[in-house]
Amino acid sequence: MSVIPAALATATALGVAGAVAGLVLPQRVRSAVVGVLTAGVGVAGGTAGVAALGGSRWAAEVPGLLPLAGTHLAVDALSGLFMAVAGAVVAAVAVYGVGYVAGHGSHGAHGLGSRGAQALLPLFALSLLLVPAAASVSTFLLLWELMALTSLLLVLAEHRARPAVREAAVWYAVMTHLGLVLLLAGLMVYAAQAGGETFAALRAGTAGISPTVRGLVFVLTAVAFTSKAGLVPLHAWLPRAHPESPSAVSALMSAAMVNLGVYGLVRVGFDLLGGGPAWWWLLVMAMGGLSAVYGILQAAMASDLKRLLAYSTSENMGLVVLGVGAAGLFAHAGDKALAGLALAAALLHVVNHSAFKALLFTGAGSVLRATGERNLDLLGGLRARMPVTAGLFAVGALGAVALPPGNGFISEWLLLQSMIHGLAVPGVTMAIVLPLAVAVIALSAGLAAAVFVKALGVGFFARPRAVGAAAAKESPPLMLAGMGLLAAGCATLALVPGLLGEGLDRAVAAVGFAGTQPVSGGGLQVRLHDVSAQLSPLWVVAALMVALVMVTATAGWAARRRQRRTQARLWDCGGGAPTPRMAYTATSFAEPLQRVFDDVLAPEQDVDVTPVRESAYLVERVKFRNRVPDRIEHRLYRPVLGFLATAGQSARRLAGGSVHAYLGYGFFGLVTLLLVLVVGW
Amino acid sequence: MNNSLFTQLLDLACGAFLLAAVVVLWRRELAAIVRLFALQGLALAAIALLLGLHEDRWDLIVVAAGIGALRASLLPYLIRRALDALVADRTRDQDGARAYTYSEEVRETEPLVNVAASLLTAAALTLLAYAVARPLVELDPTPATRALPVGLAVVLIGFFVLVTRRRALAQVVGFLLLDNGITATAFLAASGVPLIVELGVSFDVLLAVLVLQLLTARVREAFGTTDIDDLRELHD
Amino acid sequence: MNTVGYTAIALQVGAVAAGAPLLTGLMRQTRALLEGRAGAGLLQPWRDMRKLLRKEPITPVGTGPAFRWAPPLLVATSLVLAVLVPLVSTVTPVHARADLIVVVALLALGTLALALAGLDTGTAFGGMGASREMTIAALVEPTILMSVFALSIPAGSTNLPVIVAGAVDQPARLTSPAGLLAIAALSVAVLAESGRLPVDNPSTHLELTMVHEAMVLEYAGPDLALVEFGAQLRLAVLLGLLASLFAPWGIATSASLTAVLLALLLVVLKVALLGMALAAAEVFWAKLRLFRVPELLAGSFLLALLAVTASYFLGGER
Repeated sequence: MSVIPAALATATALGVAGAVAGLVLPQRVRSAVVGVLTAGVGVAGGTAGVAALGGSRWAAEVPGLLPLAGTHLAVDALSGLFMAVAGAVVAAVAVYGVGYVAGHGSHGAHGLGSRGAQALLPLFALSLLLVPAAASVSTFLLLWELMALTSLLLVLAEHRARPAVREAAVWYAVMTHLGLVLLLAGLMVYAAQAGGETFAALRAGTAGISPTVRGLVFVLTAVAFTSKAGLVPLHAWLPRAHPESPSAVSALMSAAMVNLGVYGLVRVGFDLLGGGPAWWWLLVMAMGGLSAVYGILQAAMASDLKRLLAYSTSENMGLVVLGVGAAGLFAHAGDKALAGLALAAALLHVVNHSAFKALLFTGAGSVLRATGERNLDLLGGLRARMPVTAGLFAVGALGAVALPPGNGFISEWLLLQSMIHGLAVPGVTMAIVLPLAVAVIALSAGLAAAVFVKALGVGFFARPRAVGAAAAKESPPLMLAGMGLLAAGCATLALVPGLLGEGLDRAVAAVGFAGTQPVSGGGLQVRLHDVSAQLSPLWVVAALMVALVMVTATAGWAARRRQRRTQARLWDCGGGAPTPRMAYTATSFAEPLQRVFDDVLAPEQDVDVTPVRESAYLVERVKFRNRVPDRIEHRLYRPVLGFLATAGQSARRLAGGSVHAYLGYGFFGLVTLLLVLVVGW
Repeated sequence: MNNSLFTQLLDLACGAFLLAAVVVLWRRELAAIVRLFALQGLALAAIALLLGLHEDRWDLIVVAAGIGALRASLLPYLIRRALDALVADRTRDQDGARAYTYSEEVRETEPLVNVAASLLTAAALTLLAYAVARPLVELDPTPATRALPVGLAVVLIGFFVLVTRRRALAQVVGFLLLDNGITATAFLAASGVPLIVELGVSFDVLLAVLVLQLLTARVREAFGTTDIDDLRELHD
Repeated sequence: MNTVGYTAIALQVGAVAAGAPLLTGLMRQTRALLEGRAGAGLLQPWRDMRKLLRKEPITPVGTGPAFRWAPPLLVATSLVLAVLVPLVSTVTPVHARADLIVVVALLALGTLALALAGLDTGTAFGGMGASREMTIAALVEPTILMSVFALSIPAGSTNLPVIVAGAVDQPARLTSPAGLLAIAALSVAVLAESGRLPVDNPSTHLELTMVHEAMVLEYAGPDLALVEFGAQLRLAVLLGLLASLFAPWGIATSASLTAVLLALLLVVLKVALLGMALAAAEVFWAKLRLFRVPELLAGSFLLALLAVTASYFLGGER
């Protein structure tokens, strides 16, 4: 019982110590000490999470810490799951971060190594761990804002190196605070109606709130939470902030911070509001499905490795939210077991996504550090130069493509099973929504395969296409160690998902669905009513290994004599050894998909032909430009921004520069307010 | 005829009926589209025949025969003739530019919505039809009413063809799909309309096709193409 | 029971491994006869394989482990599929693990390995093949999973032996509109997955039309033998899967040795017939333009979706 408070107290102490150490220590030892302390924060927080997953619960109230409301903390299995994930990611990324900062003169590392950034890193890590522990509206909002601010400042860490960082940070700041405003409004209305601001009071007061207000609260908070999770259409900050922040920070944001959007959705939607009518969940599913397909399509078009990973985060969170929405729909229809299965699948996907996405972002960070390049078109050939990084990246990519030996497959399999079995629930809505959901999951899985073949094959294989990639060196051992930890996590999740079984079940039970024990033992078993399905990841891997050994052995035996493999020049249809410039780039790899989804993506292409001066028929130079803009952003944000700009321009007339006028505004405002009060009451 | 066999055959006929409409969206050659329309006429006749046999109503069987004659042979024949007239006309004066427009003329080269998107739209329309027909089906769930959404789906798909295809003849087929859908809905919902109404409707459709056939020929003479987007010129 | 089960698996894998090159030989021979050529005989693929295996293994300069290990991995995935897919018997020791989604995913894994190998060579052709193959694979996925969905509705499970055994018990499932639509949709998906006409031409070496062949251009000797064998295995397993799903009659549903042997004979016959029919059809088909393939796949996706809705709405009791 006492593990959780002790661990949380340790984490807080270490986090504060880390922040102080980051501020005062000299550069020589700063990153090492901060790294160790941050890793400690992660381990302690993770321990608390694991303890909660193991069945302990803890709640406490610290009245004096905050004025007016006091601080309320509570940890149940659902918080535990998110804390455990965040803790594990923080610990591994902290180890990685020490190596990342250590190398002097390497690209962009000085940004994260600076005094301010090093002081903020432990605080950010701490906030990631504490948000799920908050148990009252004010505590939650405070920690939420701490997380937003520290991450914003960390995104800015490399602003001296690249001007694009500033623009990204502005986008992030505006969107995250719009989200905060919505969240604030939603939770305030909720607290006012429920007559208390602790989560316990909210839970108790929900029954007395009218359905309209409940719907309003849900929509406001859901929009805020899905924006944090990077879901379309409020995703615009994600593909900007993730590529521009230091890679360790991107890994933390993408693998731990966006999860908290899902946490908030589940906590408010299921636990506090206790579920709701079908339209809530249809809305959530629509957003999830749209993000899944749109995110992965944009990822397929992206040539920037980190932008690609960021869009893939949008896709995976879309799939998770699709599962959450399905759970809500099933719960509304009264099928608790199926709702539990869908929610368990979604939560397992959160865990899996964190593992492989942290690994992929750290891998991208290693590439960036070694080559100074994020553009896949200019990479290539890293397999020979950074073999360990390439291997670890491949493990992460395998998880991301949702194919058998990878961990992503397991959760997507569960998600598909819950959708397929959901057709047994009566209702026309189900019969229409579920096939579409299956199609969305399938399409995004198929496109994800293409995306990560591109990332791995074009970025790491073949030969280098630019100087940066040709000069790459393997990363220092500490970075590899951090990535190795994450890869080990991926492998464990892929081979023995059963380890999570009971914890997952408790997490699902914590929001009111009796779980179905979908992940138990070594394999996965889904048993519902008269229906069952089984998946044994360990068996599949073993069978593949056995078959692989048999095939190589038989092929060797059939060749009769042992022959050494000889090297030969590439044939290339008789064209002779091609130069690296002839190889397929990421852009060319994505071209067929771009054509197929032409109507959705609306790419922009210009061709400039400059003729020779003497004759209009001889061409001197052809310039071709191909850009795939984020179309939703174009269509949705441009008009809003344009309107705001016009409104701002016209508002300038109010500010004429006269002090009397400014004072007059205040005076009139006051008088009008009083008049309204007099008349209204 | 026993019940489960009837249900199966009816479902099969309805499936073929819907499938023919969907494949119309898929194919580009007008000739193939006309063939599919004939096939759909057969499926419709089969539906009427099955219902007639099941309920022992001779008038329905007669209607089935009539539908077969009209929709599976006469109407396709008329459209085919219009198509052949276009082709014959083009081959007569086959200089370069004309020969090119000829190949454009017998194919739906560029529908307003591309083929893949049309097919996905058809999927969505079918889902819509199922959702809309659900309350109707629940009033009286017999095998026939349960297949009711198929008729509605064909109506919607026919309308969609009418909206998105450029060639005048493809549009005629779209109109006829719509009519087929309405007829099928009537059969499945209420085992058909009175004989006299059915006769009237059939006569109407026949006339409409004849008029449209003439109109197509005139349009081509006036504009040199049957792309009805060119009718916009009449506006000015 | 277990002995018979293991025998069934061994027979099935043996038949697939030995028969896959013969199936390809049969299809080429059928095609040759229909085109008025003499043909090379049924055994030619085996002879090719023997010849290739005895050649010297070659590693092109600048390629790495992905290139080296893709062919064995391709064959390994196909062999695991041959174990999982119930061709001969539905009561095998692995019957609980033969999930249809796993089968689909293993197929995709083989495709992915080859695509990575194609990119690993760093040639324009390798990249082109990989890019096209992944585009097609991405678009096939919705169709194939939607057919899986349609097939699993009447059986109430995505477990393959359960689906097949259910179809044996109630043949009416197959002739219902849902069943027929699912057959049509899955057949198109199978054509795309196995790289046959009209999606990809397995015998072309014309640069602009190659998909699969472009990825494997750099392979020679024993590696090429494995790549070809893997492709043959995939085709055999996929046709076997179609046969089991849509013409399951004769498959052993009990643990008796005679039933297993009879089923083996029948499945060989069914797959041979399917292969010949496919080869005959291919004589009359032309390869689709790459950018027309999405239309074909959208069409088959529509069929699969209709299969799902039809089985729900026409299903009755619910």
